[in-house]
Amino acid sequence: MIMKNAFAASVSVVAMLASTAVMAQTDLNALYEAAKAEGQLTTIALPHTWCGYGGVIEAFKAKYPGITVNELNPDAGSADELEAIRANKGNTGPQAPDVIDVGLSFGPAAKEEGLLQAYKVSTWDSIPAEAKDADGFWYGDYYGVLAFGVNKSIVTTSPTSWADLQKADYANNVALAGDPRTANNAILSVYAAGLSTGADAAGAAEAGLQFFKALNDKGNFVPVDGEASAIAQGTTPIVVNWDYNLLSQRDGFEGNPEMDVIVPSDGVLAGVYIQAISAYAPHPNAAKLWMEYLYSDEGQLGWLAGYCHPIRFNDLASRNALPADLMAKLPAADNYAKAVFPTLDEQAAAKTKISGEWDTVVGAKIQ
Amino acid sequence: MATVNSTAEPTAGPVQTGPASLGGRKRNFLTGMTLGDFLAVAPFVLFALMFLLLPMSYLIVQAFQAPDGSFTLDNLAALGTPKTLDSFLISIRVSGASAILGCVIGLFIALAIIRGKLPDGIRSTVMTFSGVASNFAGIPLAFAFLATLGRLGLLTVVLKTVFGFDLYKAGFNLLSFWGLTLTYLYFQIPLMILIIAPAIDGLKREWSEAASTLGASNWQFWRFVGLPVLWPNLLGTLSLLFANAFGAIATAYALTGSTLNIVPVLLYAQIQGDVLGNRGLGAALALGMVIITALANVIYLVVRTRAERWLK
Amino acid sequence: MIRGKPWAWLVFGLGALYFLLPLLATFLFSLSIRKSGYTLDAYANVLADPRFQSTLGYSLFIALCTIVIGLVIVVPAAYYIRLRAPKLRPIVEFVTLLPLIIPAIVLVFGYIRLYSTSSWLPVLGWQLGGQYVGGPLILTFAYVALGLPYMYRAIDTGLRTIDVQTLTEAATILGANRLTIIAQVIFPNIIIAVLSGAFLTLAIVIGEFTIASLLSQPVFGVYMQNVGANRAFEPAALAIISFVITWGAMGMIQLLSRFAPKTARKD
Repeated sequence: MIMKNAFAASVSVVAMLASTAVMAQTDLNALYEAAKAEGQLTTIALPHTWCGYGGVIEAFKAKYPGITVNELNPDAGSADELEAIRANKGNTGPQAPDVIDVGLSFGPAAKEEGLLQAYKVSTWDSIPAEAKDADGFWYGDYYGVLAFGVNKSIVTTSPTSWADLQKADYANNVALAGDPRTANNAILSVYAAGLSTGADAAGAAEAGLQFFKALNDKGNFVPVDGEASAIAQGTTPIVVNWDYNLLSQRDGFEGNPEMDVIVPSDGVLAGVYIQAISAYAPHPNAAKLWMEYLYSDEGQLGWLAGYCHPIRFNDLASRNALPADLMAKLPAADNYAKAVFPTLDEQAAAKTKISGEWDTVVGAKIQ
Repeated sequence: MATVNSTAEPTAGPVQTGPASLGGRKRNFLTGMTLGDFLAVAPFVLFALMFLLLPMSYLIVQAFQAPDGSFTLDNLAALGTPKTLDSFLISIRVSGASAILGCVIGLFIALAIIRGKLPDGIRSTVMTFSGVASNFAGIPLAFAFLATLGRLGLLTVVLKTVFGFDLYKAGFNLLSFWGLTLTYLYFQIPLMILIIAPAIDGLKREWSEAASTLGASNWQFWRFVGLPVLWPNLLGTLSLLFANAFGAIATAYALTGSTLNIVPVLLYAQIQGDVLGNRGLGAALALGMVIITALANVIYLVVRTRAERWLK
Repeated sequence: MIRGKPWAWLVFGLGALYFLLPLLATFLFSLSIRKSGYTLDAYANVLADPRFQSTLGYSLFIALCTIVIGLVIVVPAAYYIRLRAPKLRPIVEFVTLLPLIIPAIVLVFGYIRLYSTSSWLPVLGWQLGGQYVGGPLILTFAYVALGLPYMYRAIDTGLRTIDVQTLTEAATILGANRLTIIAQVIFPNIIIAVLSGAFLTLAIVIGEFTIASLLSQPVFGVYMQNVGANRAFEPAALAIISFVITWGAMGMIQLLSRFAPKTARKD
């Protein structure tokens, strides 16, 4: 059964490769040679446990020997990545990132500021239109949905919806995985909470702020960063974070503690991340080769192995290129069917409102 | 026993006549430098210029820059917004509280290990530990306190199960102003111990002996001799502790992150650029911080010079 | 008969409780990685991680460079001030306090702008034998700046306890030049102060995160932060390990200072 799927998958992959023009293959070789001449690719903010980047990077190095991958600052956030490009304008040293992986809303701003360069990968057409910049400056790489990670040894009944979080049972339990004034996933968590109250896209930011204000006033909200240690130790037994992060953390716990990953039933928000090449990349050809790899079937499946939904998911599904064993590890598909993909404008508006007003609306006034 | 910091300085007396005896060449400190002298201070001057003074002037320039590069006073005006003033106020209060408490508690501990006639190894162990602990900050410290005094912390649980005392029901909360101050003390107290130890060493035995000969009780010794002598040092170190706490960001961020708005957190958000990012405003915030901590340090220096009168 | 005054023991005891409890809590948590009970598995995971070894080694190397450069900068200057220009002391002291005044994040942003490859002094682009040394160099100088207040204070204290005047005169009469005096006469006499300055610098460098992360340098502090992103128990183990390593290094320095030549104290 698995063999049949694997065979079918490989046949379709070969078919796909054959169907794209032979010219693309030659281009790829030329690109590889040019990249090898540059010798190095500098990445930033790619933790190995995020979307299986560890595996993706190793596979890239194995496929294209002769190119070292210099990994900067795995802990950086989207804002830090843009800062790294800005700070290293004209710096051709190893501090300057070639490629970045940032939240969707950071794309247009970065393009306008002139931090990015355009490049359309060979699989360009199979990337959904809503997730890419028409000129090729940035394009979505993967997405996930916001979910709850629950420490089962502390919380007996896991919440199944945003509304559940407001229950008195969860006093001092709920936390975000980041600062809502700067971190993309925290901002979108607030937005998602807003959506769950029934607000439309325009009002979700305000509704989300009010949701968290109520949560904080009730005493359910814990202002500590919901990292793995905090979940395990018990300070933040319920954390809102991307599903792929939570699933990866669950794997890391190895049952101690037991962790549930639940996609809320009343508000599913998908977050798209985008890849882009720095306008000042010291190794532009290596960067382009990296993009080609990531958007090939192999690269996309590498992300799937890390619990992230690759952006060409629908394309891969339609060609039966998704391995069954990988699909089995992900939460049920029907949750994802309800996912809302906020547009760029909606995200930008939410970002401004939430990061600007968090302090005044939710922040505690210490007397 | 390595002494680290000392606020006790000898009077500068005989040094002024020194140069005359070294070959009798007349010199003032600028034109009388020999090549050797110049080479001695050159590294320091160069370093200070390149890595301290230049960045600071860059900061000052930036504080007056609008996002498009033109001169503006807007950034400084923005310092007056309620939110910013609030954060400065909170920062000052947290720094002040942890400085005062750190000063008092650190003083008592230092007195205990130096004048308490404790067994020999204790002083050097405490001094080494202080050196390590004064740099134990940030996420590990925040986590350590969450694991001790958090709702499911070691001490909280022990108090509840063994002594039946519910800390949180009694009103305690680690994630609050006083909780943060308590955590800050972990690196404030050791710093105090390190700095005040040499000064306590300087309280000569002869003075206590003289005092007791004159019939003074222990309390009177401290009231009329000990504390007045230590007072300038205490005040000076208080300023230093204040400056130390004011600049600390990592611990506060890790502990009370999104609810307690202290200046370094605000600064970090601005200087990171993207979400709220106004580089000039960040620079103005930093300038505000610099002025406050500079004041604290100037007080420290002035007070420290006066202390030199008493201790050799 | 127990030695020591009772109030001293009380204060010491309470202090010990305050400082040791959080460490104990962290330690117990780090042992709890398995459901079955306390094990050292988290430590095994950490010690086996090649990044632990490489980042720790790198941090120790940077710490060593920082100490050496710090000494080269501070010792001659402090000596000169004490010997010839005591009036300059307050100015110099204020300069050494600048790192405590300017937030570290501001300093490092300044360095990145001032010394990037497109600036007037492109330190960040310098190479040595094919390796980029600009980043480590700026990092080292940033740490020298961070440690400057403590280093200067320690050296100054050390110089105060020895009779700089007489030593210099004696050495000059015997024909030594300035460099020989500093290196072979003054320095050995202040070795205790030097060591204490070194030990504080080491503590600062090992734990530092902000500057290193903004300069994208793979130091121990950055590694500790990364481990915290997805592992629950290893960060606690790392905190304890880092505490022990720092204590160990300081303890060694204290030990070495016992073998240092005893200085002639003024009184």
